[in-house]
Amino acid sequence: MTTNTIFEFYKLLEKDNISFAYRGSFSNNVLTMVTQLFKENLGEEHDRLRNKLSFLMIESFQNISRYTEKEEVILLDETSEFFMTRNVGDIFYIISANLINNDKIPSVREKLERVNTLDKSELNKLYREVLTNKQINEKGGAGLGFIEMVRKTRGKLPFDFVEVDDKQSMFFMQIELSASSEEEITTTDSIPLNDAKQIQKLISKENILMLHKGDFSSEAVEPLLRMFEENMQNVSLKKHKKIFHFLVEILQNISKHSFTIDGKHEGIFQLGYENGKFHIGTGNFIANHEILYFKNLIESVNSKTKDELNELYRKYLREGKETKTGSAGLGLIDLARETDDNIIYDFNEINSDYSFFSLTVNF
Amino acid sequence: MSTPIIIEKTKSSPEIILDKDNSKFKIAGRSIVEDPNEFYSPIYKWLEEYIKSPLDTTEFVFDLEYFNSSSARQIMEIIMLLEKIIATGKKVKVLWMYEEEDEMSKERGDEIKLVSKLDFEIVEYPAEDF
Repeated sequence: MTTNTIFEFYKLLEKDNISFAYRGSFSNNVLTMVTQLFKENLGEEHDRLRNKLSFLMIESFQNISRYTEKEEVILLDETSEFFMTRNVGDIFYIISANLINNDKIPSVREKLERVNTLDKSELNKLYREVLTNKQINEKGGAGLGFIEMVRKTRGKLPFDFVEVDDKQSMFFMQIELSASSEEEITTTDSIPLNDAKQIQKLISKENILMLHKGDFSSEAVEPLLRMFEENMQNVSLKKHKKIFHFLVEILQNISKHSFTIDGKHEGIFQLGYENGKFHIGTGNFIANHEILYFKNLIESVNSKTKDELNELYRKYLREGKETKTGSAGLGLIDLARETDDNIIYDFNEINSDYSFFSLTVNF
Repeated sequence: MSTPIIIEKTKSSPEIILDKDNSKFKIAGRSIVEDPNEFYSPIYKWLEEYIKSPLDTTEFVFDLEYFNSSSARQIMEIIMLLEKIIATGKKVKVLWMYEEEDEMSKERGDEIKLVSKLDFEIVEYPAEDF
């Protein structure tokens, strides 16, 4: 993962108020926390949407487990399950991708094409028919999930299959939900499924496990930390603590020091795992006049040995709460002494006021 | 007689017990508060009063599962307030507790021990069974 990728993701998600992407196996914990994350980010005006959104996320999750073909995912690759939810403008999107056997494609395609052409009353009729049908196959799907999704969204379900090899394909599906009205969403004003396919491709290529763009105010950081903890049960305490430590420092850094736009500390966060190492990357805005300060700070921290960093940390520690040193200093020193590699950073100018500041640590 | 401070722990702030009458002094849990000054200032205030007439021996327990770098400074501030007691000839003992295998908490304790002037004991306790 490079800092360039963080900026690339940022550009892909530039219009998103909030987005969250996840690769790997899913649990209900992830779902609960994603819902929480959206709640913290969206505020009360979207209250009535929340239940609907959670319902659709559950459907989408279950859909992944219903149709997915892998018994056990050990190593993540480009065929790992993918889940993404995002809000752009007035529309919420839930995107899922999973592996499907090529011989199942015609039947899934048929079900989806059918629900996509039906109007409301036809959908209700079909729903009742399928409910009372005793010959539902053992995978539980006569398309009831799809029917429910369309009924709840009143839109269409864009979908696609991307061939992996002659046996399997990746099955992409997008749910679209309008925040403002019960009107049908026309395909012209929604984001095409291709966008999500591009993001999934980049996420796989960069070995990212989790990607989040949104508000990084302190209230919004909390559910992110909790989500992480819930999903770290299998990791050893030692590693777990270290990751948690990095997360806290790096996320609080964004909420404390980033440039505020429309009252939000907008930022992007990604967690990846590659060649036995975790990497955490963040991107946020900072005022142009602060660039030099951060640049010098990181350069100075990067140029020091572990012993020098320890010594510096202890010196700052005894300065206590009255210290004149910026709090970013202590946090960065702490990050640097816990990782073997340098802190990687980059600045991309956005306009004359602020720039995009990306930062990556490996451990 | 002094009024004790007892604060329950939350997901981001630690449990605090400052109780002179029962000679209990404890900070336990997690401290990842973003504005630690606000959280810790009543504690300093209490301690500043306490050090004027401390017990003969103050045994202060730190049982911190995790703290962020801005809380580290606050913890150090508490340690430095306690250091003032030694000058009066009274005793202070710090018990830094950590759960077995929690190397990070142990290392953080070792580090604070290194920069502190107090009688400082690092104590391991067994992990909880679920």
